[in-house]
Amino acid sequence: MQGLSGLLLVLFVWAHMFFESSILLGKDAMLWVTHMFEGVHVFGEPYPQLVSAAALVVFLLLALHAGLALRRLPARAREYRAIHTHLRSIHHADTTVWYVQVVTGFALFFLASAHLIQVMLQPDAIGPYASSDRIWSGRFWILYALLLITVHVHAGAGFYRLVMKWGPLTAANAAALRRRTRTLAIFIVGFFLLLGGASLATYMKIGYEHRALVGERYVPGSHADLNGGE
Amino acid sequence: MKPTPMQTIPLKQSRTLRIEILRHNPADPDSHPHLQVFEIEEAETMTLFIALTEIRQTQDASLQFDFVCRAGICGSCGMLINGRPGLACRTLTRELPDTIRLAPLPGFELIGDLSVNTGKWMRGMSERLETWVHRENIEAIDIDAVEQRMAPELAEQLYELERCIECGCCIAACGTAQMHEDFVGAAGLNQIARFRLDPRDTRSDADYYELVGDESGVFGCMTLLGCEDYCPKNLPLAVQLAFLRRKMARQGL
Amino acid sequence: MQIIYTDVLVVGGGLAGQRVAIGARRRGLDTIVLSLVPAKRSHSSAAQGGMQASLGNCLGGAGDNEDIHFADTVRGSDWGADQAVVRMFAHTAPKAIRELTAWGVPFNRVASGERTISVDGESKVISEPDESHGLITARNFGGTAKWRACYVSDGTGHAMLYTMSNRAIAEKIPVHERMEAVALICDGPRCCGAIVRNLMSGELLAYVAKATCIATGGYGRIYRVSTNAVINEGIGAAIALQTGVATLGNMEAVQFHPTGIFPAGILVTEGCRGDGGLLLDGAGHRFMPDYEPEQRELASRDVVSRRMEEHIAAGHGAQSRFGEHLWLDIRLLGEAHIASKLREVKEICQYFLGVDPAQELIPVRPAQHYSMGGIRTDHNGHSQTLTGLFAAGEAACWDMHGFNRLGGNSVAETVVAGMIVGESIADFCASDAGALTVSTTLVQESLRREEGRLQAIANSTGDESVYELTGLMQDTMTRNVGIFREGEKLQEAVADLRSLQQRAAAIRLRSTARGASPELVATYRLRHMLRLAQCTAYGALQRTESRGAHFRADFPRRDDSQWLKRTLARWPDPDADTPELSYEALDIARMEIPPGWRGYGERDYIAHADSARRQQQIDALLADVPETDRAARQQALMPFRHLLPAHLRADNQRVGDGQ
Repeated sequence: MQGLSGLLLVLFVWAHMFFESSILLGKDAMLWVTHMFEGVHVFGEPYPQLVSAAALVVFLLLALHAGLALRRLPARAREYRAIHTHLRSIHHADTTVWYVQVVTGFALFFLASAHLIQVMLQPDAIGPYASSDRIWSGRFWILYALLLITVHVHAGAGFYRLVMKWGPLTAANAAALRRRTRTLAIFIVGFFLLLGGASLATYMKIGYEHRALVGERYVPGSHADLNGGE
Repeated sequence: MKPTPMQTIPLKQSRTLRIEILRHNPADPDSHPHLQVFEIEEAETMTLFIALTEIRQTQDASLQFDFVCRAGICGSCGMLINGRPGLACRTLTRELPDTIRLAPLPGFELIGDLSVNTGKWMRGMSERLETWVHRENIEAIDIDAVEQRMAPELAEQLYELERCIECGCCIAACGTAQMHEDFVGAAGLNQIARFRLDPRDTRSDADYYELVGDESGVFGCMTLLGCEDYCPKNLPLAVQLAFLRRKMARQGL
Repeated sequence: MQIIYTDVLVVGGGLAGQRVAIGARRRGLDTIVLSLVPAKRSHSSAAQGGMQASLGNCLGGAGDNEDIHFADTVRGSDWGADQAVVRMFAHTAPKAIRELTAWGVPFNRVASGERTISVDGESKVISEPDESHGLITARNFGGTAKWRACYVSDGTGHAMLYTMSNRAIAEKIPVHERMEAVALICDGPRCCGAIVRNLMSGELLAYVAKATCIATGGYGRIYRVSTNAVINEGIGAAIALQTGVATLGNMEAVQFHPTGIFPAGILVTEGCRGDGGLLLDGAGHRFMPDYEPEQRELASRDVVSRRMEEHIAAGHGAQSRFGEHLWLDIRLLGEAHIASKLREVKEICQYFLGVDPAQELIPVRPAQHYSMGGIRTDHNGHSQTLTGLFAAGEAACWDMHGFNRLGGNSVAETVVAGMIVGESIADFCASDAGALTVSTTLVQESLRREEGRLQAIANSTGDESVYELTGLMQDTMTRNVGIFREGEKLQEAVADLRSLQQRAAAIRLRSTARGASPELVATYRLRHMLRLAQCTAYGALQRTESRGAHFRADFPRRDDSQWLKRTLARWPDPDADTPELSYEALDIARMEIPPGWRGYGERDYIAHADSARRQQQIDALLADVPETDRAARQQALMPFRHLLPAHLRADNQRVGDGQ
């Protein structure tokens, strides 16, 4: 269950990265994606409540995941001491990575919750300018930068362990699977950090340029053809 | 004829090894865990078995540790060697730095110094997981008759899993087992995988699920893979755990 | 003071002890096993190569049966064995392996069809029969006419011990781990249990039992270079000796294994040679065929070890800074074979020598390996002099190995003996003789005596070091009571041991640590070991012949006319410095195979007059029995089945039966 909720969250986060990075393709592309989530392409007009609902689902999933994960963490002082003694002594890569996951998971519980609650409460505040204003003028870039790093380290490590948890089929392939999955996970994390970093920078740039006009929403100009529904 | 390293390795300048041992004698109310430092001259092909025996014989006769076969077969001498679990008897000092820190395997009841009660833990595990062939009328087997046939490959696969020497390194290397005392660890789960593979054992997956289908069993494992990395016998533990997890998950659904 | 009452007390948690316990438990007796270490760490686990049982499944074993196994074992023993016991053993071994198989041991199986093997240094293709596919296979071992060593890769003992231990756990037999029997409780000629020391806390307690069975293995650690585990100090045999009532048999019969890795003495299995490995000298020459054209590398262990030392003495050893040695070459077996059938060997070579045996030679030299001698018992494992004391396995001398044991016969013996002795213990407990009334006073006295002994050691103000004396004992045994023995050296050993016994009284402990106190343990064990060593050295000095592993350079011939007898050692006077020896003649008139040439080794021996007479008698007895009826022929010569428990008497079936 923990694995499954983790898997769904990982898939969500990775997909999310592609959607938000649509800003790299331009404001219109990002607006199109925003409209897609608001149901504009289906219903003809935006229903930001859909975004709230999606955020709620993710939030619940997150809460479930965190709740399940909590059972595995040291609960008593003895357990806490044992795991820290163990970590200090063994210097074992996979165990250390797990500990990094514990720390990032703990951070994520707050960072991701903050992000999700904001989306739930202000579902309509997503858009090329709205988002950028929040990031720059609203100083949300600090949250997002932290979130970006923690979530990807956490998700990448989770992905690796999920594969090793269920994947190995034969003794001969286990070592190779482990090696390849580790490489792949590092590559994926790197990729999303670059993608996310670039997107964040773009939002920050737009936000900076738009700082005087905070509150104004983006209206597509010569790209109306993109918004087929309107 | 190829010469062996014994003839080709030049005599090295011998080192003085600094061996730091975490000592504690629970039988003595005045004893508290502390590091004691011993210095000994390294000898050619010296193992930790030889080094510890020499320390006990020449420096401190009260030092407790366990060796039985001193050939890497019986699993008695698991300990933390510079923080990592391993078999002391087959660890050559020449592969270690000048300072060697030894500590008892964590996760087991301490008997004294480097000696821990792995036997008690393993017996408990065996009783709990019923690590024996279950079959009807096992007391009334016909031992005059030709034995039942078994595919040669299957016999070899069974031995692959049977090679566990219950040294406890996988438990000491496992963050989960260190935190959760009731976790059966790779040593236990490997046993389930071994008997599950054995056609002579008539237990079904439902029976095995009863034994390990929970958080103290296969679903407690967090895949930290310390067991896989520190198993002195190189047992295919990651594979067995994944396999068992799949089977038990299916059974649980 | 804690007293634990039980029906059966088994001292030793190896294969033999646990099988005895299972047998007794199944007969409804309360049974407790004591073990120095966790039972699965017992030295049985170090047996690598195989277990002899005449299943005759694989091609190399085709046509094998109990008769051939019996003959091989008797010849291997150099006619020192009790032939009735050997018969019981050879007959029960197939049952033992089938029982273990049903309990879960994953013995390697015959794969039908062609495969390549290595014989005499050459590759050869053989074809395993289809009808045997999936049955238990076997490998070749020394001194055997057939491939008979059934194996689980080269972890045979490990797999057997784990299965046996698991079975004992399943049958809810308590194993009291890290407990050492330090003395037997005796009421005159009746053994009533043991005084036991807890090796974790140091406390003493008493176990009172109707029957006490010693299954503590051998006493290899009286030697410096030994393949044995460090716990193999023979304490079980020693506490029996200490009673002054029980006897030890053939203590001078000590086996040296040809292939201990050099210099550590760690064993690499006979299976290396069984599978086709060769012995080479310093010049890379394969020397065994020069000495032993019949069996070459696969003569019995005593012969091969002797030839190796002879070859080294003739100046053909390989030099290293640790001294001289020879080479074991298993490169010709190929990487795949080594990785699957000799993987422990591979690991040992890697870890201890830094050698890959698929590519490089393994430095070897004979090392002490096995104690044929032990607590003298009858064919039921019951001491003939101390009622209620039983022994099984290497600790016992019931006497199936005589003066040399064949490879693969020891693990087989442990289980077979366990099956037989477990039953005889149950029979004993059910009989009038088994009833036990023991006074608490007696138990308390025994306990106090042991407490006093330990206290005396702790209080001793002498100036000797236990570790130094232990080293001196091991040195004199290795130097003077080794493979080649002679009067002068043996006298030196006896004198050395005498002086060490005296010095041992002056051992002072340097540590006063509470609890287990390893130094205290070493001290009381050394006193025991010195007596075992003295039995060995003194017995060897008196035996002025060469037989099996006991080789006297000054009496190089086997002398059946004088020495066809078993040495019995007793130690009735605790203050004496040598044992009291007596001899038990072996009766040729009751032998199935009268003494002759073994088929390998020295051809020269002094025959006993009865040998030829018995052979004539045998020829006459067999004249009327058809050759096809081997059971009847055997029965005519030496009936033995009545000696076995009823459920072990039936014929063993084989896949080729009725063809």
